[in-house]
Amino acid sequence: MKLFICDLESKDFGKLIPDLPDDDKVILYDESIQHCIGCFGCWIKTPGACVIRDRYGDMGEYLSKSQEVIIISRCCYGGFSPFVKNILDRSIPYLHPDFVIKNGEMHHKRRYKNVIDLNVYFYGENITEKERQTAQKLVKANSVNLDCNIGRILFFKSIEEMEGQIL
Amino acid sequence: MKIAFIYGSPKAKYSASASLLQELKPLLEQDDIAISEYNFRKPLLNKEEIEQLINYDILVFAFPLYVDGIPSHLLNCLIQLESFFTSANKKDIKVYSIVNCGFYEGHQNKLAMEMMENWCSKAGLKWGQGLGIGGGGMMVMIKNVPMGQGPKKSLEEPFRQLANNILNGASGENIFVSPNIPRIFYKFAAEIGWRKSIKANGLKKKDLSARK
Ligand SMILES: Cc1cc2nc3c(=O)[nH]c(=O)nc-3n(C[C@H](O)[C@H](O)[C@H](O)COP(=O)(O)O)c2cc1C
Repeated sequence: MKLFICDLESKDFGKLIPDLPDDDKVILYDESIQHCIGCFGCWIKTPGACVIRDRYGDMGEYLSKSQEVIIISRCCYGGFSPFVKNILDRSIPYLHPDFVIKNGEMHHKRRYKNVIDLNVYFYGENITEKERQTAQKLVKANSVNLDCNIGRILFFKSIEEMEGQIL
Repeated sequence: MKIAFIYGSPKAKYSASASLLQELKPLLEQDDIAISEYNFRKPLLNKEEIEQLINYDILVFAFPLYVDGIPSHLLNCLIQLESFFTSANKKDIKVYSIVNCGFYEGHQNKLAMEMMENWCSKAGLKWGQGLGIGGGGMMVMIKNVPMGQGPKKSLEEPFRQLANNILNGASGENIFVSPNIPRIFYKFAAEIGWRKSIKANGLKKKDLSARK
C-alpha cells in the first residue's frame, strides 16, 4: 500500500489527491495526537507497537505494509511540521532496537523486510535556502535510518501550488 | 547575566539531556550569573513562561535527537516562541544548544543543530554555539563519573569551550563529540540493556524482534 503522512486538512488533501485507491492509507492533521514520551516501550514492552494507544499507536505496522510513503509537510526550520514530526517520532517501532554499522555510522537493525520508497513534498511561504538544504539532508538521513529509497524531495510555496504535482 | 536552561526531553526522570545540563551548571557558577530552569515536556507553553523567556540574555537548550531532528513537542514550543519573539523587539538573546543522541557518533546531531540555527534566524535571535553528543544512552548511567574521566574524557574540553562562550556571550563553531569508549563496547552494552529490559517486562529476548 501507499501511506500518506500529511499535516493537511481533508479538504486540502482531497484537492491534491482526488482519487485514492482503497488500499492506501492516509494520515491527516489531527490535533488530538499524543506525543512520544521517549519510554522505548515500543521496543521493550509491546515490541513493534507504541504504548500510547491513540490512533497512531500502530505506525510501525503501517510502515511495514507500505511500498511507498508520501510525506506532505510544512517545512519548519528545515525539518517537518510538528504534526508530521510527531507521526515520525511515533514510528520508531518500525525499527529494531539493536544497532548495525552502516557507512561507518551506527543505525538501527531492521524489524521488517520491506523496502520503502520515500517521497517528500515540503511547502511553506518563506522557506530559506538554508532551510531547504537542511531539509534535503534530513530526508537523506531519514532514508538511511529507515533503510529506504528516496524518490522525490520537492519544495512548494503553498498547498495550492502542489495541485497536480503529487504522483 | 540571566541564563535560562531549557530541558527539552519529554522524560521527567533519567533524562540524558538533564544530566548534561547538570554537567554544565558548575562551569557557569559566578557571582553575576543567575540560572533559571524551564521544562518543555509538553507541546504547549503557557503565556507566563513565554513572556518570562524574553527577559533572559541567554537560552541554553538541551534535548534528545528524535528521528534526526527536534522532538515534536519541543518543535511546537519553538514555533510558539518564534511568533512571540518576532513580535517583541528584544533581539539580543543568544541561544546555545546541547543535543544528545542514542547512536554513538556525536555528528549525527548535526541536522538538529542546523534546525536550531534556522529557528534562531526566523525568531530573530543570535546563535551562540551547539554541542552535539553521541552515546546518549549511557549518559544517565555515568552521571556520577567525574567530568574529564573515563567515558567523559572527550566531553571535558567541549564543555569548557561551551561554558566559556556562554560566560562571554560569544559565538563558537558547533562541536560534535562521541563518548570516550570504543563504539563496539557501547553497541554491546546497549544490546545487553535491551535484553535485560525486555525480560524485566516479562517477555523473552526473541520478542525484541516481534512483528505485527
Ligand atoms: C522517538 C525517538 C527517536 C529517536 N531518534 C534518534 C535518532 O534519529 N538518532 C539517534 O542517534 N538517537 C535517536 N533517539 C535516541 C535518543 O536521542 C536518546 O535515547 C537520548 O539519549 C534521549 O535523551 P533524553 O534522555 O534526554 O530524552 C531517538 C529516541 C526516540 C524516543
